[in-house]
Amino acid sequence: MSARAAAASLLREALPDISWRRGVNVRRETFAGSIGAVLAIPQAIIFAYLVGLPPEYGLYCAAFVAFIASLFGSAAMVSGPNTAVSILLGLTVVQFAGRGSPLYTDCVLILSLMVGLIQLGIWLVRGAELFRYFSPAAITGIKAGVGILLITSALEGSLGLSPLTSTFFYEKFYVVIWGWNELVNPYAATISAITIVGGLAMRKRWPRTYIINALLLGSVTGALIVGYWGPVDSQVELLGRVSLQAFPLMWPRVSPEYWVIIEGMFPNAVAIAVLGLTQSLVIARDLKTHAVNTVDLHKETFAQGLANVLSPFFSTFAGSGSFNRTNVAMEMGAKTPLAGMVGAVAVLLIAYVLGPLLTYLPMPALAGILALVGIGMIRWKEARPFLQHRMEGAVYSITIFAVTFLGLDVGIFLAALVSIIFFIAGASKVAFDIERKDGLEHIAVKGNLFYASLDRLSQHLHANPANDTVLDLRRVSYCDSSAYSLFDTIMRERLQHGGKLDVIAA
Amino acid sequence: MKKNTLALLRMLAVVLGGFSIAGLSNADSSIARQSIADPSNAVARPTIEELKARRFLDDYESNVVFGYNIVMETERYAGRYTGNRLRCTSCHLKGGTQPDGFPLNVAGIYPKWRSKNSVRNGIGLRIRDCFLYSLNGVMPPEEAPEVVAVAAYIHYLSEGEVIGRPPSNWGVPTLPDTFVDPNPVRGGIVYKKSCAVCHGADGEGIDPIPPLWGADSYSAGAGLNKIEKAAGFIWANMPLGQERSLSHQQAKDVAAFLHLQVRPFNPREGRLKKLAERIYHWLTRSSDEDKQ
Repeated sequence: MSARAAAASLLREALPDISWRRGVNVRRETFAGSIGAVLAIPQAIIFAYLVGLPPEYGLYCAAFVAFIASLFGSAAMVSGPNTAVSILLGLTVVQFAGRGSPLYTDCVLILSLMVGLIQLGIWLVRGAELFRYFSPAAITGIKAGVGILLITSALEGSLGLSPLTSTFFYEKFYVVIWGWNELVNPYAATISAITIVGGLAMRKRWPRTYIINALLLGSVTGALIVGYWGPVDSQVELLGRVSLQAFPLMWPRVSPEYWVIIEGMFPNAVAIAVLGLTQSLVIARDLKTHAVNTVDLHKETFAQGLANVLSPFFSTFAGSGSFNRTNVAMEMGAKTPLAGMVGAVAVLLIAYVLGPLLTYLPMPALAGILALVGIGMIRWKEARPFLQHRMEGAVYSITIFAVTFLGLDVGIFLAALVSIIFFIAGASKVAFDIERKDGLEHIAVKGNLFYASLDRLSQHLHANPANDTVLDLRRVSYCDSSAYSLFDTIMRERLQHGGKLDVIAA
Repeated sequence: MKKNTLALLRMLAVVLGGFSIAGLSNADSSIARQSIADPSNAVARPTIEELKARRFLDDYESNVVFGYNIVMETERYAGRYTGNRLRCTSCHLKGGTQPDGFPLNVAGIYPKWRSKNSVRNGIGLRIRDCFLYSLNGVMPPEEAPEVVAVAAYIHYLSEGEVIGRPPSNWGVPTLPDTFVDPNPVRGGIVYKKSCAVCHGADGEGIDPIPPLWGADSYSAGAGLNKIEKAAGFIWANMPLGQERSLSHQQAKDVAAFLHLQVRPFNPREGRLKKLAERIYHWLTRSSDEDKQ
């Protein structure tokens, strides 16, 4: 492809493609988007809490990042604040500034910008191809590990504790178990327990909307408890007023003085960029197999990167595709990016209308929702097929262990590494089918022939130099130059010893 | 985390001996030594304007500026937790720098025991109380960035103060006994004559003059709802520009007048509990009457 054609195809990916507008069912898309928006609001608030920023930032992420990603994207994928991305943003920036301080906010915005730029870089070098090799076992493992992290991070909020810091997640449970009578706020614990138990009970009945129902249940419980005992005696934490603007435009503060912090954040920025893209592209790949519309992975990469680059200018943080919100939109019949765009606008509208009610949203109920989201991410049903397979089971377990004990960033890189290693190990397996018919040896090869997988074949061929051999490569999908040079050597050797090698190529 | 600890250490250092932040970060030990020798020798700490002009603020400095912004424009910078139109600076005059006007250079006297809630109060809890009672909002959590920022600003203002000793001109003056009970009727007359020009006939206030009662003012649980405290504040600071022009008795009368006005209820009382108690009393009483 000439440079000009390459530039033209890049430009085609970088411009919004609205070819979906032909034959779109506007009513269905609007309905799907609005339902998704109702679900997105509690999630946005929770994810902003995970990042360590006020709830407005999360809502802006569910609005602006989602809108830009849908406008430039090609699929019905719903983007916005994402669990793993949010946790990692918070964990990264807390090393450089106190949680929630102005410097912290600046750093989150800079980090989001970095993540977006790295993703645009990945788009330019056609990196979306690489994400094909991220194994489903690793992704399910990351999701389960994040679920465990979510449940533990919901602990403080749901029991009314001050923030605990611990090296490993299980240490928090020790603290709570040994000090429960002094630490646990019974009012907060009641609210979160009712939220979680109610949510689990409703999950079977309303699999799509149980989160919202559980939040309603928890809020009503909270209102009764706070109303009866008063905010002072019950000490139940409330969300506080959420003040939204229609266009929260701002200019992120970047100056050379931030360079040291930028340098320090860079490795994690790469991890977040990769993680965000992985999730978005896995969803996009999923849509490609299920949905009718055409999904372009490169275009989705660009859309996600652009949305994250622009996120700090709309006073919000980076996001990525969302599994559960995309699922809800799909089940409601969304087929085009229109649903995502309508949903983004609806988030702002609904949050604005609900504003006064949101003020008295009890934080223990939100923490209970966080735990429910965490429980929902650990899907034993999805994991079972991996566990039955030895290699995938190993990838899955290693990923969960790394994410929970070594940290999310280490876990992601390790998961990528392990899935690549196992992929290579699997790809370098070659099967031979050897048949002998009246002095003629017929070898049917199955697999990939490359430098790492040639050993056994070359041993076998070198062992009997006087044989008459037919090498059947019709079921070989890939053959590299070292394989050809091996055939060359063997042919020459056979000529000397009176044997023969015939190669049937595909 | 490391940054956080550093900021905390700095706050501690500020309170301990009147070290200057500039002295610490520039490693200019001569300035620091000077200030230990003589605490009254005010070290040139950067003013808020100087801090704002800088291109990069570290964690502590950015929190000081954030805290100052919250104190001056509470509804804009800490609107999440406020419930009325008051600002911190409505009572803590001039951003907490006015002597006898609830100055905020009080980091040295916290943590302390308060009879109001019978527990040891850290500076964080004190700030959170202000959001709940005086700003009639929602109590922020301990770790809320707004609370941390206001605490940082209070530490910044407290440079050079002594730990454990209340700063001079702390709070508001306690007025001497006038041997006459505060009279709200006379207070109403004084209010119309001296206060209503700015605060309005119905105490509604016009930005930036704070409302004195009604839904947009402090709640019945606020410290200013105590007559002695309000009287001291009024006498020492009001009317603006003619401070201390009212007599002690007039100030007490106005305070009594303000105390009688309608304002948001005291959040200490659980409303539903009160209602349930009323209903219970009513039910038990009527059943007693039936027996008789």
